[in-house]
Amino acid sequence: MDQEPEEKVPLFKKWSRWYILVAGFLLLNIILFYFLTKHFS
Amino acid sequence: MSWPDWIVLVLTLLGMIAYGLYKGRTSRDLDGYFLSNRMVPWYMVLLGIMGTQASAVTFLSAPGQAYTDGMRFVQYYFGLPLAMIVLCVSFVPVFRRLKIYTAYEYLEQRFDLRTRTFTSGLFLLQRGLSTGISIAAPSIILSSLLGWNIFWANIMMGGLLIIYTVMGGAKAVAYTQQLQMIIIFGGMTVAGFMVIHRLPAGVGLSEVLHIGGKAGKLNIITTGIRPGGKGFDWNDRYNMFSGVIGGFFLALSYFGTDQSQVGRYLTARSLTESRLGLLLNGLVKVPMQFLILLLGVLVFAFYQFNREPVFFNQSQLDLLAHSKYKDSLVRLTRQYEAAETSRLAAAPSIAANAATPADRSKAAARLLAAEQQKTDYKMTVRRWLDDKDVGGDSNDTNYIFLRFVTDYLPIGLVGLLIAVIVLAAWGSIAATLNSLSSCTIVDFHRRFSNRPMSTEKEYQLSRLYTLLWGIFCIAMAQLAYNIGNSLIEAVNVLGSMFYGVILGIFLVAFYRKRTGGKAVFISAVIVEVAVIFFTILSRQGVVKLSFLWFNVIGAAGVVVLSEGLQVFMKKPSAA
Repeated sequence: MDQEPEEKVPLFKKWSRWYILVAGFLLLNIILFYFLTKHFS
Repeated sequence: MSWPDWIVLVLTLLGMIAYGLYKGRTSRDLDGYFLSNRMVPWYMVLLGIMGTQASAVTFLSAPGQAYTDGMRFVQYYFGLPLAMIVLCVSFVPVFRRLKIYTAYEYLEQRFDLRTRTFTSGLFLLQRGLSTGISIAAPSIILSSLLGWNIFWANIMMGGLLIIYTVMGGAKAVAYTQQLQMIIIFGGMTVAGFMVIHRLPAGVGLSEVLHIGGKAGKLNIITTGIRPGGKGFDWNDRYNMFSGVIGGFFLALSYFGTDQSQVGRYLTARSLTESRLGLLLNGLVKVPMQFLILLLGVLVFAFYQFNREPVFFNQSQLDLLAHSKYKDSLVRLTRQYEAAETSRLAAAPSIAANAATPADRSKAAARLLAAEQQKTDYKMTVRRWLDDKDVGGDSNDTNYIFLRFVTDYLPIGLVGLLIAVIVLAAWGSIAATLNSLSSCTIVDFHRRFSNRPMSTEKEYQLSRLYTLLWGIFCIAMAQLAYNIGNSLIEAVNVLGSMFYGVILGIFLVAFYRKRTGGKAVFISAVIVEVAVIFFTILSRQGVVKLSFLWFNVIGAAGVVVLSEGLQVFMKKPSAA
């Protein structure tokens, strides 16, 4: 099997930072939605 | 529809076909036809992934869903970003390294030929059937609202795109999806601004949110716990837990094992660009879906100040008008119109006098009291439609947004919004036809053919299979017409019947290295039969379980059962 060459990760040093960003943004969305639900109910 | 709308619609669709044909020129081999020679940049991968997932139904159904059931549907997407992460860590590097055309090729390398053939066969079965339904569902809605012939509606929805998909393959699909998504986002944004623009003076987004909130439409986060803390409702479709857990398994299965999606990110220039496309999809999908649902709340608020039809699907009212309820319908319509007139006379003054937040809250409460009376009339119409003698469809959720568009948006914009719906269908169906063709040629024809084929012959056959699948899906759409509006639900249920098992096979492949082909194959067959059995029980009301959970059951079932079977087998049969 040919190994794809390791490429530079865009914006961050590691892909794990990207994963944290995606998971963190989801959490932020959920928190925001929770407060929207509470505030307008 | 007026002639300027027709011009906008026809020009947009013809322009899209021409663009697809122009951009779809590629090398005459499988690499060019199915993978765009792996030269697609990350932003086109992102738009391709989004365009493949977002079908016509997404834009027709979601605003209507928010209008009737509130915004809790957004929770269905909570598992998606997490699935994108898992894909980038485990699935994508393997698929890229193996330089495969279809995801199922990997299963032969990891297990054996029968597991690959079984999984690819499940995909072809599920996708072939559901794509026909995906064409029929929006066609029925458009033909009902605009009086179009269903055959020509199906041809427009699923037939015209075949031209550029057959000729240009994955490259044509990628370029047209890019342009389609730009037009779709633009059209939906304009529609949102138009709703706000048509609200009375003094009613802005803040007031809309208050009205929506008071009416229970801003139920964005729900727990699925029964009132009074009486346990978790497993039959509740959209809540935090089913969204995060069920949605995660569904998204992992859809993006990781459905060739219509795998085929999009395999076209990327590099592993980095595949990952970037998927991760950005994880970032934008939830907010995007939130905004589409918010459009439904805006339309709901709009109808607090404007005359709302007693039922949004006019063709069903016509059906009632020719039934035993025709006299009752005339009386009810008269009473409903009178109630609407008095409600609307009070609404502007309520809005104008609502200067403070407290006033606004009171105003919203008064409007909603009037809403209750309206609901009683609507329920009566639904009850009549449910009567077996009438045989109508009492669900008008999917007609709400488009009825608003045709009744209230200016000439030209109506044509654009219809084009948005059709283009959304095209993006999704084109990617699917491309993937059905790739699996047919790579996993079946080429794999089982004893005669060697030239590159040109493979290319020509791939085009032929794309055309044949296109014709098959159109034929299925014509047959599916009789099922009616429950088609949209049928797509989701059909997907959940197969996705879980397919995902289970891939999870074992990636994470259970000691499990062999024989164990996973037997497990997959047993669990698939069990899931189909449970789906039938669920449809008959014997088992109370939302379809999202079938993805979890299917995946977990294959993993656990294959693990158990492997214990009884001395060594993996193939690894």
